[in-house]
Amino acid sequence: MNKIATSLDTVQEDIGRFYDPEQHHFMVMNAVDLGQQLEIQWFFSHYAPPYDTTTFFALASPDATIPSIRSIVASAWVAEAELVDLMDIRIEGSEKGFVLEPDFDSGPLRKNK
Amino acid sequence: MAQQYEIPVGAQHISLLEPLHFKFTTENEKIVHTDANVYYVHRGIEKACCTKFKFRQVSFVVGRVCGLCSISHTTAYSQVAEKLLKIEIPKRAKYLRMLVIELDRIHSHLLCLSHVAENSGFEALFMKTMQYREFSMELLEAICGNRIQYDFSIVGGVARDLKPEVANQVLRRLDHFMPQLEELADIFRNNWTLSLKNKGVGAISRETALRLNVVGPFARAAGLAVDVRNETEDLLPWKEAGFEMVTETSGDVYARNMVRIRELYVSISIIRNIINGLPETPIVTETKAFPDGEAVVRLEAPRGELFYYAKGNKTQVLERLKIKAPTFSNVAAMVEAFRGNEYGSAPAIIASYDPCLSCTAR
Amino acid sequence: MKLATYRKKSPWILHYNAGGCNGCDIEILACLAPKYDIERFGMINTGNPKQSDILLVTGPVTKRSRERLVEIYAQMPEPKVVVACGACASTGGVFRGMYNCEGGVDQFIPVDVYVCGCGTRPEQIIDGVVQALAILEQKNKDMEASVRLNTQPIAEDEQLNRRHVAASITPTPTV
Repeated sequence: MNKIATSLDTVQEDIGRFYDPEQHHFMVMNAVDLGQQLEIQWFFSHYAPPYDTTTFFALASPDATIPSIRSIVASAWVAEAELVDLMDIRIEGSEKGFVLEPDFDSGPLRKNK
Repeated sequence: MAQQYEIPVGAQHISLLEPLHFKFTTENEKIVHTDANVYYVHRGIEKACCTKFKFRQVSFVVGRVCGLCSISHTTAYSQVAEKLLKIEIPKRAKYLRMLVIELDRIHSHLLCLSHVAENSGFEALFMKTMQYREFSMELLEAICGNRIQYDFSIVGGVARDLKPEVANQVLRRLDHFMPQLEELADIFRNNWTLSLKNKGVGAISRETALRLNVVGPFARAAGLAVDVRNETEDLLPWKEAGFEMVTETSGDVYARNMVRIRELYVSISIIRNIINGLPETPIVTETKAFPDGEAVVRLEAPRGELFYYAKGNKTQVLERLKIKAPTFSNVAAMVEAFRGNEYGSAPAIIASYDPCLSCTAR
Repeated sequence: MKLATYRKKSPWILHYNAGGCNGCDIEILACLAPKYDIERFGMINTGNPKQSDILLVTGPVTKRSRERLVEIYAQMPEPKVVVACGACASTGGVFRGMYNCEGGVDQFIPVDVYVCGCGTRPEQIIDGVVQALAILEQKNKDMEASVRLNTQPIAEDEQLNRRHVAASITPTPTV
């Protein structure tokens, strides 16, 4: 797993430069609660040898709006909609209610919840 | 423009094993738009794995993510935990894991084929396939002690050894199964009635599959040669055990059936190779370390690529565990592949996706 | 032959997964298949709640499926029997206490038979359903008993009879 550091401002640009549908496979988007900050991760794998996994990661504060990559990776909307509910973060173009019921207190995977 | 109707399917429906809701917008029987709601079975396993259970218990909890591919989940978790603990497991344990994964793949693929037959309206073939499937359940029970939820992989190795008489029984039952598989393959390949519901239905192209990051038999049926068994050799030596890639080109329900049938042959040859060449080593590596750092693992479950991300913090309880199930990657393409098909074909198409919602929702 | 006889000899089952792991569901499917063959008890799997007598529920009830479960139960005609298949449908099992699980089917609808095991074996499911048949028959009897009213004449008592006491309702002739 090779990790590439990026930031919220440049993630669209970085992934847009990196991602080629013929070569890379977008797996999933993930977030880890580090206490004060969240680590947002985008996982890609390669179709060709050596089949390694590339991870983009960016640090974000919990109330930041995270740019969406669905204009680059068409199937990313599922992962983004899930993360909005589970981590209680804001992602462009994703609304709450995909995973959890509307009356549920969202963000169950955050540490302070 | 013709009038549009909205037809809901689910959450409870005769053609669905699991709660899954599709809302089809149809125009004269043709589906023009689909909405999917796949999170009926969200339970919150990721949270419980990071708070309630110790890291050695988690391998039993993640098996309950999905009953169809529980061995894939326990194995993938065990591998990612072994990466965090920085231990290498014995070779016999790797081979036994592969053996159970392949037997599980046989039972899962046969279940999917029977389900496609039932949803296409071919009840007799459903019964026949389910009857032939029982041998794999009995073999899994003989090896692991339970028909489903095997709890076979543990952190550091496997829980049970393979007895020589059970190994002989596996080979004998596989020999017995081969003519039955020939019969099934003949029906699925050549039956005219089934082909009416299956050929050219629910098709996606290779370009769509690439664009929407499809995995598993769904992608291989569209001509996209993606299989984790072809890639990694260090965690589980698939190529050494005789793995071959299976692809089709047309991407429709028929092609998915064919991919599954041909993968059954590959699985059978892998199982034979494993049993004939099983190394004589211990089955568990003991360690007293605690998980530290972060790691990812990919594994080919019956439905496609399974992905685990784990982060440890040198305590008994993991910091974060992320599970990406195969159907999760396919949701975007599942919605897309309905477009242009008749509403009457929808149950067969749903079954041919082989959706596993309890994996997706966790 | 009455409807009750057919219901006893051929109960139709309805299956709903309320958030389980699929394990018990494929065992229910295996029950329908030739090896275990639940059809020898006259049972077939139906997708319509309005035609079914036995509800097989699997899984701990998740927050999103609880309303669907109650709705399906409400749509089934009386008499009906609920069989909770598996450890998590009975008590919540390994999912008990997870944030999106309610823990057990009996939190929402009355359960008649609990089938244990993770996952349940087909033999256990068949055993549970056959036990459910006896309960179905009993419920049927109770229902019929309530329909057949006891119509014995009420004995004379000391109560005042309104008809004897009150004045006659024949209109008094006006002068």
